[in-house]
Order: sequence, then structure tokens, then C-alpha cells
Amino acid sequence: MSTSIAERSLHRRVIGRLPTILWLTAMWVILWGDPSPGTVIAGFGVACGCYAVAKLPHIPVPLRIRPLWLLRLIGYFGLDLLVSSAQVALLVLWRPTRTRGAIVAVPTRTGSDFLLAMMSGGLSLVTGSLVIELNREHGVVYLHGIPVDSAEDAAKLRTQVQRTEELFVRAFGTAADVAEFEAAQRALERRTAEAADGAPKEAP
Amino acid sequence: MGDLTAGMTAADWCTAVLLPLGALFSLVGTIGVVRFPTLLGRMHAATKPDTVGLVLLLVGAAFQLPDIGSAAPLALVALFQLVTVPVLAQTLGRVAYSRGEVDPDHLVVDELADAIAAADDRELPPGRTP
Amino acid sequence: MTVLDHVFVATFTMLGAGVLCILYGVVRGPSVLDRIVCLNAMSVLVVSAMAAEAALRGDSAYIGLMVTVALLGFVGTLTAARFAERRAHDRG
Repeated sequence: MSTSIAERSLHRRVIGRLPTILWLTAMWVILWGDPSPGTVIAGFGVACGCYAVAKLPHIPVPLRIRPLWLLRLIGYFGLDLLVSSAQVALLVLWRPTRTRGAIVAVPTRTGSDFLLAMMSGGLSLVTGSLVIELNREHGVVYLHGIPVDSAEDAAKLRTQVQRTEELFVRAFGTAADVAEFEAAQRALERRTAEAADGAPKEAP
Repeated sequence: MGDLTAGMTAADWCTAVLLPLGALFSLVGTIGVVRFPTLLGRMHAATKPDTVGLVLLLVGAAFQLPDIGSAAPLALVALFQLVTVPVLAQTLGRVAYSRGEVDPDHLVVDELADAIAAADDRELPPGRTP
Repeated sequence: MTVLDHVFVATFTMLGAGVLCILYGVVRGPSVLDRIVCLNAMSVLVVSAMAAEAALRGDSAYIGLMVTVALLGFVGTLTAARFAERRAHDRG
């Protein structure tokens, strides 16, 4: 009995660490620039050694990749990166001193640490936005965006951020993450509707 | 004209388009670092166009390398750049805000300041001063 | 000279002009964070120039160096930013 638990935990430890070791080996081989068996074996040894010496922990990665949404994410992301760069470039050449920005708070709809980290990384890279503070307790992300000249621009920025978040959740989230996201989205919509109507409505 | 384009392959043409485009993006980004009046604006200019410029330059350079084995590390450089830029931007943004180097004249709204003020109000009951 | 030679001249000119802009930004400042941002942009420009150099020479000798410079620039900028934050915290 105890051996099977020990075996299973050993099994899990090895399997859990294997992707990192394979990635380190791949980096080693790429940097050497020749995929001969000797290089691969040496890289594998160095990766295992690094792992043992640094005592890197095994972090479970609860992600599930959906290829279609991932493709959409990559396409949207690449396009957005180019567009936001061109936009910043235009601003640079045309009256940069008059450019104004805004720090807006956007409620997040996912609780997963990995998704939040990926999302804030993606946001910092595109759409003229820059994440400044992430409040995990309240699920709010504060980001600075340029160019923002009016409340409408700020609202547009908020919509863009939420679309990015949705793409990340749908591309990488597990089924539980997506369900949580959709529930939070409905709650958010209801709250917005209530705030707009001024009176609370009965939930259907 | 024949002399100018003699011996140009398709890969050479790709390089000829991508390299100056990447360098142009980098140059515009660095000009922005100098011209933007606020720290956050400079950070926008330093992160986005520079990254796109570097990726374009790397793709352009990959077309000049003899085989795919020697071009693979270029993808590694691009990957590192794409992963590290958001981390830097976020750290610098937080530090800039905590040091108070954000110019409110250039902000339309600042909802983080509102949130901090609201949190302070909650922590300090009325009638008590810190 | 073929088109490619002109392309290399233009690329290196633009990158060099970029480095000059950055140097001006480093000197002008005015705060520590401005200088940190400028120096980070400079390290990205150095990697870009190395990529252009690799294209010019058509060999991959510099690529290991490019990875190193990119990662060192990242770690250096991060450390400097953290240091600036800690000083502000100690003062406050």
C-alpha cells in the first residue's frame, strides 16, 4: 500500500517536472545550434542538475489549451501589437506633449493566478496600456492607457481590456475557469444593469 | 537599376523590407522616450515600438542566416523579449506610481488614487487622525 | 552596391540615431526611473544592432551573445527598479 503511494508520488514528481526539464534541454540544444545526441544528453544532464541544485518546486499548471481560441488570441494579439505600436509611433511624431492618458480600474472576472498573470502580461504588451497594480483580493486591475482624452476613450479602453481577458480565459482556462468567468460575467452585467436602472431587479 | 538589384533572392528582399522597418520602429520608440513629457508616456514608447522593432529585425536577420539551426536562437531572443517586457513595464509602473512620479495633469481619470483614498477612509474611522 | 547594402547603411544609421536619442534621455533624466527606462531601451537597441550585424555577416556567431545581453538587460533593469522602490519606501 505504502509502496504504491510512494510510487505514485514519485511518478507525479517526475511527470510534473518533466516539461521544465524538456524546455531547459531544448534551450540548451538551440543555443548550441546542433541537435546531435551528445548535445541532447549533456543538456538533459545539465537541466536535471540545475533542477536538483536549485530545488525548484513543482508548480501544477492547471491550463487547458483550446487551439481555435488560441489562434484567435494570437491573431488578435499580433494585430494589436502592431496597431498599438503604430499608434504610439504616430503620437510620438505628432504633438507628444499634448497626449493625455488615464489610469482606469477594470474588474477582472477570473480568479486563476496563471490566467491573471498571462492577462496582465498580455495587456502590458498591447493596446497602449500598461498594468500598474493588480488587486487580487477585489479582482481589480489598474492600468494606464494612452491616448485617452475623454470618458468615452476610457470606456473604450475598458472594453478592450475585457475582450483581451475573455480571449485569454477561453484560450487557456480549464472548464472550471471558463464557468467561473461566465458566472462572474453574468453577475457583472446584472450589477451594471442595476446601476443603470437605479433599482435592483429580480434575477431570472 | 539592373546593377542595383543584381543577385537579389527572395530572402534578400524580405530582409531588405524588414530590417529598415524594424529599425524605424526602434528609432520612433527612442524618439518617444525623449519627447514624451511624462514618465508613463516614456514607458509606453520604450516598451511597445522597441519590441516590435526588435522582432521585425530578428525576422529580417533570420532570412540571411544559412540554415534553420542557426536561426532558431533568434526565436529564443524574441521569446525572451516578449516575456520580459511586460514584467519590466509592470514593475516600473508600480514603482513610478508608488514614488509619486505620475503627473496628474496628464491624466483624464485616476481610479487607482480614488481606490486608495477610499481604502484609507475605510481604515480610519471618522474623528481619528493618523 | 546592391539594395541590400543600402538597407544595411539605413538600418545602422537609424539604430545609431536611436542610441544618440537614448543617451540624451539618460543625461537629461530628470528622475532615476527615467534613466532606468532609457538604459533598458538602450539594451534593447544593442540587441537589435546585433541582429542587424548577424544579418550583415550572415553567420550566427553573435546569437549567444544576443541572448546574454537581452537577459542581462532584463535582470539589470529589474534590479535597478526594485532598488529605486526600496529607497522610496525607506524614506517614506
